[in-house]
Amino acid sequence: MYGNETGMDGDVTDDEVTSPGRAGTDGAARTDGGTHARTATTAGTSDGFGEPVLKVRDLRTRFFTEEGQVNAVEGVSFDVREGEVFGIVGESGSGKSVTALSLIDLVDSPGRVTGGEVWYRDAELAGETADSRPGAVDGDYVDLRQVSEGVRRSLRGPAFSMIFQDPMTSMNPSLTVGEQIAEAVEVQRRARANPRRTRSRTQGYGLGQFFVDSLLPTREYTSEGSEARAIELLEQVGIPDPAERADQYPHQFSGGMLQRAMIAQALAGEPDVLVADEPTTALDVTIQAQILNLLRDLQEEQDTSVVMITHDLGVIARMCNRVGVMYAGEIVERGTLADVFEEPVHPYTQGLLGSIPDLEDPAPRLQPIEGNVPSLIDSEMGDRCYFADRCPKAMDDCLTRIPEYEVTGADRPAGVPHQVRCVLAEREYDPARALSADYFGPDSAREPAAADGGGAGEDARGSGRGRSRGATPDRGAGAGDGHGDDGEVRTDE
Amino acid sequence: MISPRTLRNLRRELSGSLLAKLGIAIVVFVILMAVFAPFIAPYPPGSQNLEEARTPPLGFTTTETREVQVIENGSVVIENGEIQTENRTVYNNATAAHPLGTDGNGRDILSRVIYGARTSILVGVFGTALAALVGVTVGLTAGYYRGRIDDGLMRAADVMLAFPSLVLAIALVGVWGQAQLRLPDPFVLLGLAAGWRDALGFPEGAMPETVVLPGTVILVVALVNWVWFARVARGEALSIRGEEYVKAARAVGASDARVIGRHVLPNAITPIIVLGTIQVAAIILLESALSFLGFSGANVSWGFDIALGRQYQSTSWWISTIPGLAIVVTVIGLNLIGDWLRDALDPGIEGEGGV
Repeated sequence: MYGNETGMDGDVTDDEVTSPGRAGTDGAARTDGGTHARTATTAGTSDGFGEPVLKVRDLRTRFFTEEGQVNAVEGVSFDVREGEVFGIVGESGSGKSVTALSLIDLVDSPGRVTGGEVWYRDAELAGETADSRPGAVDGDYVDLRQVSEGVRRSLRGPAFSMIFQDPMTSMNPSLTVGEQIAEAVEVQRRARANPRRTRSRTQGYGLGQFFVDSLLPTREYTSEGSEARAIELLEQVGIPDPAERADQYPHQFSGGMLQRAMIAQALAGEPDVLVADEPTTALDVTIQAQILNLLRDLQEEQDTSVVMITHDLGVIARMCNRVGVMYAGEIVERGTLADVFEEPVHPYTQGLLGSIPDLEDPAPRLQPIEGNVPSLIDSEMGDRCYFADRCPKAMDDCLTRIPEYEVTGADRPAGVPHQVRCVLAEREYDPARALSADYFGPDSAREPAAADGGGAGEDARGSGRGRSRGATPDRGAGAGDGHGDDGEVRTDE
Repeated sequence: MISPRTLRNLRRELSGSLLAKLGIAIVVFVILMAVFAPFIAPYPPGSQNLEEARTPPLGFTTTETREVQVIENGSVVIENGEIQTENRTVYNNATAAHPLGTDGNGRDILSRVIYGARTSILVGVFGTALAALVGVTVGLTAGYYRGRIDDGLMRAADVMLAFPSLVLAIALVGVWGQAQLRLPDPFVLLGLAAGWRDALGFPEGAMPETVVLPGTVILVVALVNWVWFARVARGEALSIRGEEYVKAARAVGASDARVIGRHVLPNAITPIIVLGTIQVAAIILLESALSFLGFSGANVSWGFDIALGRQYQSTSWWISTIPGLAIVVTVIGLNLIGDWLRDALDPGIEGEGGV
């Protein structure tokens, strides 16, 4: 259903997808009618993924601007497990891209990662680091925030890589596509030739090296071996005539082809974690579908974990095993795709899902979330739930910082975490405690929800979602309890 | 390296502009003159002939009123214990032997202008290359790393800018002296020039066997002018640094040196080339100024010759004016080439833009 709205799924057949886990997810993306079985399937397979390769804890990134300190990433925590696709979805300005850049330590001044831990699983690196920095090692995991800049850089490529949003600007116009991919291969080849210890020192910040490079312009940037590998990679990402295309410049490529080349470049180091920052946003919908299929195929082939950053719920539904919803620098809700999409707890998630049209059951009007994402400037944020000023269900409980609650429920399988930063996870909405409409000022777009007979637990979430969409009737595939929910919403109208 | 589109832009701008063609013609002419000086200079640049001193260039005749001793019967006339003098008009006629005239010591000005081109071109090219090497390195480093490195390097550049460049150059030449490198002139050493001159019947005289490379002057002009390269390179690096492809290269693990050398520099090169052309002209002017003031150490130089002619300015204008014209024409030619490159290479000015 979510796929349909972006017009992608209809054109594309997914018969090459064989993994049962993916089939479940795909089903969620493709089928139009809801089934009760689907929740269980998806939840079950997400257990089938391995240990986390990446554990992010309380990550904080600040931008120190003239207007004040901007808290772009505010205590983000999530795990990325081996071979899974973890989605981060949110509006523009919610901090998704900065989260991605923070992961691979590419945040540029005036921004800085100011806190948190990024635990990456690498037994070899853990062994090397254990002596010098015992605090940065926990079993096979190393906290990348505590190791040197040089070590972090040495991990770019073999551990992490990134695909950017706009392929047209992400390729150097003055080099051929082949050269740029060969460069990525070459960087990794040279890195492997040097043990990490020396690498971290000599390649840390290469001011000296830069002078050497300027004085010795004959130093070769790529070798024949890496150029041959670049052509292989281009073939792997489905570019016809790869040898010929490798000699062309980026402006001779179409957007879709260039995005394929970007993917080839990102895969050159055979990364454990591939961060895809809105990889399809700049492409038209048919190409989007091709690129997503390609990404998924490669991800399965190489068993890479992917962090998929997007504002497109269709992409999430299509690609991801688990998902985190970002709002104002926080992950407000995270869990399996089924949990988050079908039983959202946070009113923001409910609003996001309610703001997309449904082909199956067209609504007279879509229900937008009123208002805008807050500015994220530290001094203006205050101690409250950041969504409270737009939330139809804000209560006086929302005026403190909200911790992450674990969603519990009788029919929830064990070991499938679903966390949410909202008091509604613990208690039901109480209109008597609701904040008045003009609590956040007369300009506030907020309209508190009316009294509601919904019960606690699953029921409250289901009905809450229906109401947050107002006039939008629920779509069959929506909530976990399917048609019952539909009925309830329709009586509201 | 040069893309077909850039070549097309260069050609289009050239065909549409008479000035660009003129600039190229001038500069090519000056370069050929400098390279083949021993073949075309009628006299060795240093050979003096006091009898032919201050001959005007072709087409000019000068008259001069001189006070001469009155001579009768082969001896001076003495009246009242003083040698008698009278005022007479003396004619100086141009001769074909010295088409551009001679200076106060009777040296052929055409030969000196031809040889002076060597000094100017050497200082202009080497000085600009050195200034560009230092300036571009500093600028790219500052622009790429930003922050404190940027502040430190650019404050140093500001200090350089705040100095009057000529005063700084004079001070530096004063401190370092006039180191020179004498490059052998292969045309003369191999006898090629002598054979050619014999065949064409040029006046006799040994052409100088070496070309003076004024080392200190090159260092000085580079030190004075690197700042411009640093500022341009920094600006380019600052904007290119924010490009996605720089981020993408970093994301696959490329080192800073690699990113700067391979991604920033090639995309910043266009304005640097344009600036380089204009800087060659500026450095030729600075060299002339230093030579004029006597700090160059080169004994044949346009600026030096202007200084030599200064004392004859009231009677023999050509001694200073002709080397001055050589400087003006060369600088104009270089600036015309600079304009052409800027129009063809810089997408911001006009046209569809370069790659």
